[in-house]
Amino acid sequence: MSGYEEKLSAFLDGELPEAEARNIEAALARDPSLQAELDALIAADAAVGQVFEDMLAEPVPVDLARAIRDAPLGEAANRSEAPRFGLSRLASVLALAMLGLGAAGGYLAGVSNAPEIAAPAGWLADIADYHAVYAGQTRHLVEVGADEADHIETWLTATVGAPVNIPDLSGNGLTFQGGRLLVAAGKPVAQLMFTDVDGDVVALCLIRSETPQSGFETRAIGAFDMVTWGGEDANFVMVGDRGREDLSEIARRAATEV
Amino acid sequence: MMTVEKMSRVGRIAPMQRPRLEVVSDWAENRDARPVRGNGVLAGDLKHDLIALLPRLRRFARALTRSVPEADDLVQEACLRALSRSDQWDPSQPLDRWMFRITRNLWISEIRKRQVRLGEGQVPAEEATDLVSHATGEASVALTDLGAQIAALPEDLAAILLAVSVEGYSYSEAADLFAIPVGTVMSRIHRARKALAQKIDASEGAAR
Repeated sequence: MSGYEEKLSAFLDGELPEAEARNIEAALARDPSLQAELDALIAADAAVGQVFEDMLAEPVPVDLARAIRDAPLGEAANRSEAPRFGLSRLASVLALAMLGLGAAGGYLAGVSNAPEIAAPAGWLADIADYHAVYAGQTRHLVEVGADEADHIETWLTATVGAPVNIPDLSGNGLTFQGGRLLVAAGKPVAQLMFTDVDGDVVALCLIRSETPQSGFETRAIGAFDMVTWGGEDANFVMVGDRGREDLSEIARRAATEV
Repeated sequence: MMTVEKMSRVGRIAPMQRPRLEVVSDWAENRDARPVRGNGVLAGDLKHDLIALLPRLRRFARALTRSVPEADDLVQEACLRALSRSDQWDPSQPLDRWMFRITRNLWISEIRKRQVRLGEGQVPAEEATDLVSHATGEASVALTDLGAQIAALPEDLAAILLAVSVEGYSYSEAADLFAIPVGTVMSRIHRARKALAQKIDASEGAAR
């Protein structure tokens, strides 16, 4: 071989000095097998990039986001070294079990439902965490895209156990992007994502409830504003960035559509 | 020169979308009643930014640990570490790079602890990652074939490949992150891509 072969990756990454890169170019032009090597590396890189890209779309355990949200500031360094990995392992395994099977969901729901009032706040706090994770994911905003709207409605209705209808919010300048299935406070939650002309994300979330809320309520959690209301067998929340002025209007519009 | 530039971009994966930092700074400006810590980092905003970074942090941790549960443990520890040292974060520097560094350093120290526990004593970080092989087992079942091949790469090849090919690190930045010479980054990137190219070729051959 030419001896250039092992520099092909550096060439591909633009990491070679110009003179060396020129030499490789010349070698590529006269040596088809070297060019084939380069093509194989390029193909491998593209395939690897796709695998890594797909990982971003995987669901993030909400326990992980919750652990960060609830973490003390400037104090963790004082904890003893030993139990670190072990303790958090348990939380992660629980989170994975919850997401994977839904079986542990009962456990977590039991925990967060214990005080009657904590339940709604709990699910909204989880929704805020999810919104922080996903609203920044412009390329992985949704799990199932808007082109499969019918599927989203049947899939989420069946999973959440309450009717999921995609509202038409085009009158509010919002475009439907698709949906996700989340787990909040141990229960499945349907999340429908919309974007406005600026690309800002507004999400409508729905959770099954035996005792839906009456009337509309506005609150702020974390960096987001939320408008909540109740519907048939379900509670709804519209989530947008803090200070979004038309959120209440959007929520009221959605309430007539869902 | 144009040709060199063009060639070297062929097949490069576009850098991942960065979290929308401009939005984050808007929040920082719009919020006035938040407690200010240390050098002015708004602690609540750091938490928020960390949560937004989770998908990429988990991916990096998975490339390091080759195990989903271990990756989530590592990410959680790294985030708690970052929050406990939020006064050390320079907000003019990208949060992702700071977090990747914390994550990588924590993983290396975790591996060293395990080595000591196993009675194998201290080993250089270089060799340490090679001794942890989670490449097989339930964690990789859900991965695609190529995902499993990436997880099966020895040492820290998968993480270096991720840093350079996807996260946009230059060789010298990757050398700094992984505490190895630039020449080693170059050879490991090449070994990783070549190994995967051969696997792809082999599986395509088998399909024919």
